[in-house]
Amino acid sequence: MAGEILIKPDLQFVKRVIAAGGDTVKKCYQCDTCSVVCNLSPDEKPFPRKEMLQAQWGLKEVLSDPDIWLCHQCSDCTVYCPRGANPGEVLGVLRQMAIEKYATPPVLAKAVGDPKFLPLLIAFPMILLALAAKMFGYLGIPEGEIVYGKMFPTLLIDFIFTGAAAFAVAVLAKGALAFWQDINAPHPWRVKVEGNLAGNLIATLKDILFHNRFRLCETTYKRSTNHLFLVFGFIFLAMVTGLAFYHEWFDPHGQITKVYVTMKLLAIPGTAALLYGIWNLIKERQANAEKAGYGSYYDWFLIYVILVVGATGLLSWLFRLVGIGILAYPTYFLHLTAIFMLFFYAPYTKLAHIVYRTVAMLHARMSGRGF
Amino acid sequence: MNADNKILVIGGGMSGLTAALEAAEAGSQVIITEAGPYLGGRVAQLHRYFPKLCPPTCGLEINFRRIKENPHISFYTMAEVTQVSGSAGNFDVTVKVRPRYVNDRCVACHACAEACPQWRVNDFNYGLDKTKAAYLPYDMAFPQQYVIDKSACSSDCGQKCLEACAYDAIELHQKPQTLNFNVGAIIMASGWEPYDATKMDNLGFGVVANVITNMQMERLAASNGPTGGQILRPSDQQSPKKVAFVQCAGSRDENHLPYCSYICCMASLKQATYVREKAPEAEVYIFYIDIRTPGRYEQFYWKVRDDENVHLIRGKVAKITQEPGTDNVVVVAENTATGNKQSMVFDMVVLAAGMVPSTKASPFPLPLSYTPDGFVIQDLLPPGVYAVGTLKGPLDVTKSVQDGTGAALKSLIALGRRS
Repeated sequence: MAGEILIKPDLQFVKRVIAAGGDTVKKCYQCDTCSVVCNLSPDEKPFPRKEMLQAQWGLKEVLSDPDIWLCHQCSDCTVYCPRGANPGEVLGVLRQMAIEKYATPPVLAKAVGDPKFLPLLIAFPMILLALAAKMFGYLGIPEGEIVYGKMFPTLLIDFIFTGAAAFAVAVLAKGALAFWQDINAPHPWRVKVEGNLAGNLIATLKDILFHNRFRLCETTYKRSTNHLFLVFGFIFLAMVTGLAFYHEWFDPHGQITKVYVTMKLLAIPGTAALLYGIWNLIKERQANAEKAGYGSYYDWFLIYVILVVGATGLLSWLFRLVGIGILAYPTYFLHLTAIFMLFFYAPYTKLAHIVYRTVAMLHARMSGRGF
Repeated sequence: MNADNKILVIGGGMSGLTAALEAAEAGSQVIITEAGPYLGGRVAQLHRYFPKLCPPTCGLEINFRRIKENPHISFYTMAEVTQVSGSAGNFDVTVKVRPRYVNDRCVACHACAEACPQWRVNDFNYGLDKTKAAYLPYDMAFPQQYVIDKSACSSDCGQKCLEACAYDAIELHQKPQTLNFNVGAIIMASGWEPYDATKMDNLGFGVVANVITNMQMERLAASNGPTGGQILRPSDQQSPKKVAFVQCAGSRDENHLPYCSYICCMASLKQATYVREKAPEAEVYIFYIDIRTPGRYEQFYWKVRDDENVHLIRGKVAKITQEPGTDNVVVVAENTATGNKQSMVFDMVVLAAGMVPSTKASPFPLPLSYTPDGFVIQDLLPPGVYAVGTLKGPLDVTKSVQDGTGAALKSLIALGRRS
């Protein structure tokens, strides 16, 4: 290696990695089995061996290492690891800590990763929504035909959720920008980028959309399929939501109404794909737990939020169709709570991987690391 | 002679022979039981062994001679201890002897093997070649007596051997025998098995041509081996010009053998010298996590390391595949010193497979305490029972011999206490 590197170990950092679920990090004896069995790892400076070393030595810079995001936690490394050091799980913890590092305020990310704060994290949107309904809608079970607009007027929904989404996007954008700057700052592990940013971004997004990398996993190959269902479920639902928004704000009686009525049906396959995906992800995790690890609380937080979003969405629709108001309205309330949690906490939960992984994959592509 | 002066030694390998001879030469009556058809164990299969790097005949031959000359020793090959009862000073032991179908009139003239129409996989050479169903385990085998492998010798095969023998040495109707002994002490010396390399599904053994184990390498290098001592790769009998050694193939791995097998680093360094001596232009790569050279062996490591055709790469091999369209082997490892993952093509790859105590597969017929890996726990052995060498942990020949002497002394002391 060229030149001398002054390393600054941070014991607290190691302790945090261990506490967050990377308790096996110190078992690693750097044999490099992990870097070799990983199908995603590039030939030049492969991961996760070097990240394991950085983590166990307390080198915090590892959190700005784009390679922790190139890892899709296939767990092939964990399966073959001769020491039970679970590199897959450790990198998962490093990603959690990286999200925390780039989040504003970081304390919210800490809260998301700590079961103690769960009641608070649920209470916040509930109180907010209850107050909103009380002031601008109707907090209770409205009479007559079930129309969720009676409880939460559309305008109110739009206000709360575009607000939450805008907040999340702003925090994520800030984090992504800081991350991009850190990747390209001068440091011993830096790889220079070249090429056209937009063109490479499109290619990266295409890779992500079809899970081309994710599908190289062996041990948890099925995860990529389930995750793909989940992603397309979200995409369908986002399309319907977007269309509804457009219809409502820009074209309430115009041309798009007919299209909207048809397109609304996309919500059905969307919800189905989402529920199918998340349900099988849970089952796969349980089936593979012994080989690949069960995952941390941080992972499960997002999984359950998505599950609740999907399940309450489906039930709100069913209860409305059947006409059971006493069940429909509370379910809808829960549905909105879960969606708010998904949106508002996105920069702090594992969901932030959408942004950071994209940035890292873009960087890897532009620096010729085989992505 | 009462049981108080008798010792049973289970296993006729280097440590068992040492223990038996030391005890017998000190005046005890010693019975050796050996599961295989010859004495000498794993050492007999080596090309050369540490510390002097002499062939196994040096060392084994002198022991065989000591056995022949010593009236206090009797030995049984193809014999397994099936039952043990009693306690120190008075053990009743049942031994089952499998039929050899050849008696001691055999002069090892090879006539039966020549006449024999059927073949068997040669376990002495770790499956690298075949022998006739009537065979001598290896050229210097002691006892010099052929064996007929009945499972490989069906229909008139045995009859052909019988007719070919001019010495009335073949007895096709031998039955398994059961022997009973009364002994005062027992020395367990049943040794080790190589770890089954097919269990490492990423290292290609048994799937990728020209991936062999370290014990197979010993046989390839040995002058009485399948290639007459030339190192030729199995697929096309060509002399390999680029050979990789894969260290810790199964050892120090929680998925396989969680312990270090102690001998494999030295074995690979030694085998690197075999390759270099037999093919001076050949290049050797040793992929390792740590090179472990116990005690004075470090100096041997220096010698091999300084050979410019030997390349030591720090990084464990975790993927081995066949090069498409050839018999060559692709090895993937990260050189952790440079941080680069490399795919390299080799003519032949040697897996430094580890040691498994023989008690792992076949526990001794006494309730003993074992480690989770199957090693005997010395401190928890019942009085009058001793374990030697690789039964207690991976070990080299030198240390096993020392341990054998120690066990002999311990049993003598135990016997002495009672008389």
